[in-house]
Amino acid sequence: MKSTQSDFQHVASLYGPIALAVFVIVIGTILFIVVRFRRRDDELPRQRTGWPLGEAIYVLLVAAIVALLLETTFTTEANEDKVQADPGLRVQVTAFQWGWRFTYVGQRVSVLGDNTQPPILGVPTNTTVQFTGTSLDVIHSFWVPALRFKRDLFPKRETSFDLTFDRPGLNLGECAEFCGLHHADMTFNVLSLTPRDFASWLSDRRRPRVPGGRRR
Amino acid sequence: MSTQTAVAAARAPRGLLAWVATTDHKRIALRIVGAALIFFVAGGLIALVMRSQLADPGAQLVGRDTYNQLFTMHGSTMIYLVVTPVALALGVYLVPLQVGAADIAGPRLTLFGHWLIVAGGLTMYSGFLTDHGAGKAGWTGYVPLSASQGTPGTGMDLWIIGVLLAALGSFVLGATVLATVLKFRAPGMTMLRLPVFSWTMVATCLMVVMIFPVLVVAMALLLAERHLGGVFDSAGGPITYIHLFWFYGHPVVYVMFFPFLGAVAEVVAVFSRKRFFGYRPLIVSLLIFAGGSMSVWAHHMFTTGQVTNQYFSLTSTALAIPAGIEYFDILGTMWGGKISLRTPMLFALGFLVQFLIGGLTGVMLGSPPLNYDVHGSYFIVAHFHYTLFAGSMFGLFAAIYYWFPKVTGVFLREGLGKLNFVLLFVGTNLTFFPMFILGYDGMVRRVATYPSSTGFQGLNIVSTIGAFIIASGIAVFLLNLVLSLRDRRPAGDDPWEGHTLEWATSSPPPRFNFHALPPIRSYAPLFDLRHGEQR
Repeated sequence: MKSTQSDFQHVASLYGPIALAVFVIVIGTILFIVVRFRRRDDELPRQRTGWPLGEAIYVLLVAAIVALLLETTFTTEANEDKVQADPGLRVQVTAFQWGWRFTYVGQRVSVLGDNTQPPILGVPTNTTVQFTGTSLDVIHSFWVPALRFKRDLFPKRETSFDLTFDRPGLNLGECAEFCGLHHADMTFNVLSLTPRDFASWLSDRRRPRVPGGRRR
Repeated sequence: MSTQTAVAAARAPRGLLAWVATTDHKRIALRIVGAALIFFVAGGLIALVMRSQLADPGAQLVGRDTYNQLFTMHGSTMIYLVVTPVALALGVYLVPLQVGAADIAGPRLTLFGHWLIVAGGLTMYSGFLTDHGAGKAGWTGYVPLSASQGTPGTGMDLWIIGVLLAALGSFVLGATVLATVLKFRAPGMTMLRLPVFSWTMVATCLMVVMIFPVLVVAMALLLAERHLGGVFDSAGGPITYIHLFWFYGHPVVYVMFFPFLGAVAEVVAVFSRKRFFGYRPLIVSLLIFAGGSMSVWAHHMFTTGQVTNQYFSLTSTALAIPAGIEYFDILGTMWGGKISLRTPMLFALGFLVQFLIGGLTGVMLGSPPLNYDVHGSYFIVAHFHYTLFAGSMFGLFAAIYYWFPKVTGVFLREGLGKLNFVLLFVGTNLTFFPMFILGYDGMVRRVATYPSSTGFQGLNIVSTIGAFIIASGIAVFLLNLVLSLRDRRPAGDDPWEGHTLEWATSSPPPRFNFHALPPIRSYAPLFDLRHGEQR
């Protein structure tokens, strides 16, 4: 089962150390140069205006690093972007200024909330949950930082993505695309439950049994 | 005085007219820088208000609506009215001098460009006087938020018109600088003897003439959408606008980078007493970079799910190669040199160190699996401030301290300069480094406030303290400016033993720049004159 966190970690564990190494090498070189080649007299230093061979080797080295990075990026992203034909659960996400509605497809359950009272998105753990999202007004973005994933939601368009939640718990969800006055408060809570707990959470909210309130 | 200059002096307008209508490229450039400095202070004060608000969770120093206007105007000010115009102003001042020309191509047009930018800025800021306040859809103005329903009010229209005017102005400046290089070079100044800074301006202006028309069109269409409708309201409308915007918006990042890279390259060569190392590879890399920059825009759109992410990831990441060449050549110039750590050199080194952080995190952002997480978060804010502030602004200060003696005939104070550098260096890293962590921890950008339950406060306080240290650094700079101009310490014509033609004339240069030119047989003609030509 795919996991957006482990996809992120997989790529980050390559990019991070390489970036750090490049940083240390370049800063080290600059410090070395500044100390070693400080001006101590008025003599003109030897003028060397190029080193074609060295520079060519260097360019190949940089290109090789770029290729290595891209190879990992491409394979990981292909995995991350894949959507399953038969996910364990389908949730329709509708974003609006400034709130969310999560509709559990075929479950007669829908959760609604806004900036004054953020909704709770209940999800089962270790299940592929397929989200299909759109917006009623401006562009919003569905972001769950703990999952290391976001997707923008556009008006008049639908976009689908699969997510899995690996352990029970409560996580923050946010709108990550500036959307006007209450953008800062357009949050939601992600409640990950074991499949059994999720089933009862869902049945508590099934429409005919619970009239009125926010649970529609 | 030659006949030409005598006639010009007799005809030169005086008083107020001279102030608004000069056609001397040097004065126009100073005027552009002066206007940008005023806008910079305004944008900086706005930043201090925002940082003060964010130091405390749930703060209401300003309301949400005001905050949205402030961050929109901060970004718009810095990009449209400060860094882009200043980057081009360096070219307006220096390119004619470096290529040995008496004037810029199209001085009246250049002046017109300056006034367009000022008019754009005033138009944008006048939005604060309207009922609904200034523009508040971010410096990017995405539709449908920026459309008439998303953001009603005249302030948003004024923002669009302001951006449009400033974009036209920048376009004009880029065109005249480019024409100057192409048509006004002195005898002997072939393209492959053009100083490194002038080459960075060529690459910059090539991008400017390609991209700014697209921004002008995007703004005109946005205005039409707001008043006529039917432009961006189809299902594909929003993404179309985003494409148009970033087609301008990404290359402009390099418009705001190359001129400062060029300035740093000149400073590094002069303060290392070395001819620039790797001149030809650098030029090739600049041109590849400029060309490549036109093909990377949609890495701002990875999370839309509506672009071919792999293609844009490939082109974006590949830009690390020309960028790597630039670092190699600048470090190669220092290697084996005789380095003096004067203020311009300190800022140049600050540029190299800090831009690297912006560049390396930029490579990360070019990878969709990483971008999916940090896009739209404070990580991005940290990243682009490392390129634009920690990078470009440090390059600008290197340029200011380096060329100030040429422009005014006097030195800026060295002691205050070093204080200016230390304050900015400390302030910059305190302000922007915590933002990487905040973004990674889930803090969304463009938020007027955040709940205390997020645990974001500690790092936000560090960042706010940093912002005020930056402000003190800028205050020291302004003090240095005033002191140095009041109590003048004459610098002579060529205090640093410069390599390029601007140091072959008086400080400040006469109206038509040169009375005589030295022979031009390389990209460092004054170095040749002083130390003999290279075999």
